[in-house]
Amino acid sequence: MLGATYGLIALGYTMVYGIIQLINFAHGEIFMVGAFGGLTAYRYWLPGSLAGNVWVALPFVLLVAIGVAVAVAVLVERLAYRPLRNAPRLAPLITAIGVSIFLQEMVRLFYPGGKRQQPFPQLISSGTFAVGGVTVAWVSVFVVVVAVALMVGLQVFVKTTRTGKAMRATSQDPESARLMGIDIDRVIVVTFVLGAALAAVAGVMQGMRFAQIDFRIGFLAGLKAFTAAVLGGIGNLTGAVLGGFLLGIVEALATQYVPHGSSWKDVWAFVMLIGVLVVRPGGLLGERVATRA
Amino acid sequence: MSPLLEVRGVTKRFEGLLAVDRVDLDVGQGEIVGVIGPNGAGKTSLFNCLSGLDAPTAGTIRFRGELLAGRPDRFTRAGVARTFQNIRLFPHMTAFENVLVGRHCRTRVGLASAIGRGPRFHREERESEARAGELLAFVGLGRLGGVVARNLSYGDQRRLEIARALASEPGLLLLDEPRAGMNAQETRATADLVRLIRDRGVAVAVIEHDMRFIFGLCDRVAVLVQGHKLVEGSPAEVQGDPRVIEAYLGAPTA
Amino acid sequence: MRLDRPSGVALPAAGAAALVAGSLSPWATFAGFPGKMSLGGFPGGARLFCLLLVAGSALFVVDTGGRRRAALAAALGAVAVVGLNLVALVDQGGGLGGPAWGAWLSLAGAGLLAAGAWRLPAGRAAAPDDWPARPASVEVAAVAVGLLALLGAVVWGLAINESSRFVSFLVFVGFTCAALHHLGLFTWLTVLFARRQRMAVALGGAAAVAFPFTQQGNAYWIRVFASIGVFAVAAIGLNVVVGLAGLLDLGYVAFFGVGAYVGALLANASLTTVHVHVPFLAVVLLGGCVAAVFGLVIGAPTLRLRGDYLAIVTLGFGEIFRITANNWDGLTRGPNGISGVPDLAAGGFNFGAAHSLFGVTLPGFANYYFVELALIAAAIVVFTRLNDSRIGRAWVAIREDEVAAAASGIDTIRLKLLAFAIGAFMAGCAGTVNAHLTTQVSPDSYTFLESILLVAAVVLGGMGTVPGALLGSTALFVLPEKLRSFQDKRLLLFGAALVLLMRFRPEGLVPSRRRRREFRDDAPAPAP
Ligand SMILES: Nc1ncnc2c1ncn2[C@@H]1O[C@H](COP(=O)(O)OP(=O)(O)O)[C@@H](O)[C@H]1O
Ligand SMILES: [Mg+2]
Repeated sequence: MLGATYGLIALGYTMVYGIIQLINFAHGEIFMVGAFGGLTAYRYWLPGSLAGNVWVALPFVLLVAIGVAVAVAVLVERLAYRPLRNAPRLAPLITAIGVSIFLQEMVRLFYPGGKRQQPFPQLISSGTFAVGGVTVAWVSVFVVVVAVALMVGLQVFVKTTRTGKAMRATSQDPESARLMGIDIDRVIVVTFVLGAALAAVAGVMQGMRFAQIDFRIGFLAGLKAFTAAVLGGIGNLTGAVLGGFLLGIVEALATQYVPHGSSWKDVWAFVMLIGVLVVRPGGLLGERVATRA
Repeated sequence: MSPLLEVRGVTKRFEGLLAVDRVDLDVGQGEIVGVIGPNGAGKTSLFNCLSGLDAPTAGTIRFRGELLAGRPDRFTRAGVARTFQNIRLFPHMTAFENVLVGRHCRTRVGLASAIGRGPRFHREERESEARAGELLAFVGLGRLGGVVARNLSYGDQRRLEIARALASEPGLLLLDEPRAGMNAQETRATADLVRLIRDRGVAVAVIEHDMRFIFGLCDRVAVLVQGHKLVEGSPAEVQGDPRVIEAYLGAPTA
Repeated sequence: MRLDRPSGVALPAAGAAALVAGSLSPWATFAGFPGKMSLGGFPGGARLFCLLLVAGSALFVVDTGGRRRAALAAALGAVAVVGLNLVALVDQGGGLGGPAWGAWLSLAGAGLLAAGAWRLPAGRAAAPDDWPARPASVEVAAVAVGLLALLGAVVWGLAINESSRFVSFLVFVGFTCAALHHLGLFTWLTVLFARRQRMAVALGGAAAVAFPFTQQGNAYWIRVFASIGVFAVAAIGLNVVVGLAGLLDLGYVAFFGVGAYVGALLANASLTTVHVHVPFLAVVLLGGCVAAVFGLVIGAPTLRLRGDYLAIVTLGFGEIFRITANNWDGLTRGPNGISGVPDLAAGGFNFGAAHSLFGVTLPGFANYYFVELALIAAAIVVFTRLNDSRIGRAWVAIREDEVAAAASGIDTIRLKLLAFAIGAFMAGCAGTVNAHLTTQVSPDSYTFLESILLVAAVVLGGMGTVPGALLGSTALFVLPEKLRSFQDKRLLLFGAALVLLMRFRPEGLVPSRRRRREFRDDAPAPAP
């Protein structure tokens, strides 16, 4: 399910946007870096004898992917975004674009074989099973289950933990949150960490589904995930997930049923984005975008 | 003769919260009307409806007999200008440029004329500059026209906002807490300024917390409490009304 | 003039001496490094830049505003030039044997200078009084010299062929400008240029017109500048959108592409789908108009929303345009594009052929160059006149505070649409010319990266100013040409440069005064 991947990445966009109103363009690249982190773990760090064991290999790959993505995301936040906290809106946005290009090129130039497609290991058996005449791949089941679990986990985290509450408070009114003694910098870092972790999982899932990755996967996936976030109403966690699944479904259907669908595959996301913004600017679950006096 | 501004049953609802509740209000030609009420009473929300920044959930607003609706610039063009409780100038423009922006809806120069620079362009530009200079002098900023708005003192920023609003040649000026953050002397100067504005033929509706300011200045005062209009009348009537005292000090008996 | 410690002059004096000696000595132990670096006795290659930067040590004995920072900038410039060349020498000379002692001596000298500058008392910042008013003749001369220096730097830079030397040159120019900036020279020049604007514009225009005549029939740089011209028109258009109205358009190149396809389709190209030939002037305007209509169609629904949405929607539109051009074989010939676009011709005058003027033979590209100049001139007139009118003021107001702008009687949606359409129009016009200049159009020229490049040109040059857009587009066009040996790492550097630019000089190289105030709290306010 593509939708699950979009949804996971979209959560990162939505969280960061909710808190610092930044379209974190580099988030798609965090997803890509996560996938490469996972690949590295499997290819170089995992002893060959364990590589076949799903129960060891999969968690290990996921953990390393998350670690790498989180480290990169935190560095980016610290070095690139934080100094621009009070700058006009344009500055961090352009910085984000710069970071995105930079990360892509780092992987392309310095990852061994980074200029070409890299085969990604099928950690789960590539088998399928049938339910009522429909064949389903185990990978898809895994992807959906993990994605849903993570999304539920995130909701619980944000609703119940202290940090989660601090995040929500900050997104509603950063100034009051600061006055109430919330450490805004910490909240922002946590937001980036969570977003990066989810994106890294999405990266590994994407690798497993398509059996290969390259340095470019972040760009389109990032864009579409952002679209998903807007679809659902930016700043809204449930909305991001919903938008992700919706986008995945629309893409799949359009590819299948529209003539020459596959060559237009990447257009639907944007068409949908523009359509939604025209009809319901706040997104499906978002509040109406009102100007405040 | 019908009043300048006729507000009928204006209601503003934010999700569950009723910020403005079926308010009727008239402002006549040459009047200064005060709007008071505790914090969160819905005064600013009411002004937002009157200036087109927010669409009322229900109710009508008529100005010079015409129904007002749509985007804020329509309201301004029709003749309702405003200032903001938390000053909203164009911070990096000079004071003079701020006032020139206020002239926007009273000037016509379009794309072709701006590029072509015919005599009409120059005539209009000169006229706008003269008006802006005159207004800056009127509010007492005559010599600060070249200063970037951000660098003005707090009181001067408030005055500049008034000058910018006046530049659109309004028939009615809405002032949202114009003396907030001012000392006694500045407050007096602001009251004088409001009277001078009225003498120019501009009606004024003003929100304030400072009772002395309001009762000394206004011809009529309306009291808002929890969104609805509690009392309306002359300063003397409102001052003596037990419901107002109750609203401000809490009910004497529960 | 007062120095507190004797070592205050001893240290930099020793440094300057070492740097001079080092710059006159060989830097390389092997032949073949640009600038005859293995030879001593003369300052070839990057050594010249060091020698010029030594001039900064004069600041140790002249007390003037901002001298500590200026001296520091000059010294650090020398450190950077030597350091970069050392790295290159080690890289190409096969290890530490590569650089010769002169390079190490220079590094030491530059380091000493920097240390000396560091120890200078902080002193005061440069004040306007450091550059008192001068008689008119001096001012005129200063404007002329300033323009000449700019022109000289451009010509000098263009003549440098080796990437390593070009990087040294850039570093040299950058640090020299920083030093002069701290001395207050640029502030003074800015005021001067504003006062002598007509003259500066006339001189600049004359220089631009004269340029092809100086190339002795050589087409290369004329061609490069003709291409820059196309880019510059688009950049000025984008500057209306981003710099004036404050709207971020990340799919801007699509409008350029729309213009290019209109231009190519109506020119009766050899490989095309539409066989009509429309006069060029009509095509330019038509290309602009079609692009503007697209701008209105995209803008109308999205300009009601918050700015960030616009960025994303324009990005999406850019992608839709590219994918459509790629798939609509019936009109755009898909990925193959339309090629064989003929040269422009007007009344028997073929723009592709060489022509003779005033006894100088101008290559065909010169004709396009002049077309571009005319287009740029028109764009500049539109840009500056709009900027200085009620429309320009309304744009700035919207950028600063949209709610307050609306409450001041500005129809914000209409004005944003206007900015968007004008920007698209300019890009469309530029696109039609580009179709003829490059003789072909294909979808892969209109990618997201191209849009980013244009945004970067505007941001690097300085938002909201014409010189900024011109400088930015020149820089972003010439740099890749010059940095060929970094071919593979160009994008990496580009990404890093964007981040650094936003961090350290977000207002760009030539910012408008107002933009500068936005980005810097300490920017001087104009006198009343
Ligand atoms: N944009 C908004 N969204 C939700 N609630 C709002 C909004 N603006 C104002 N309110 C609420 O409406 C009520 C009235 O606010 P306001 O008009 O600012 O009061 P006043 O100006 O009288 O102090 C307050 O409870 C405030 O929290
Ligand atoms: Mg209020």
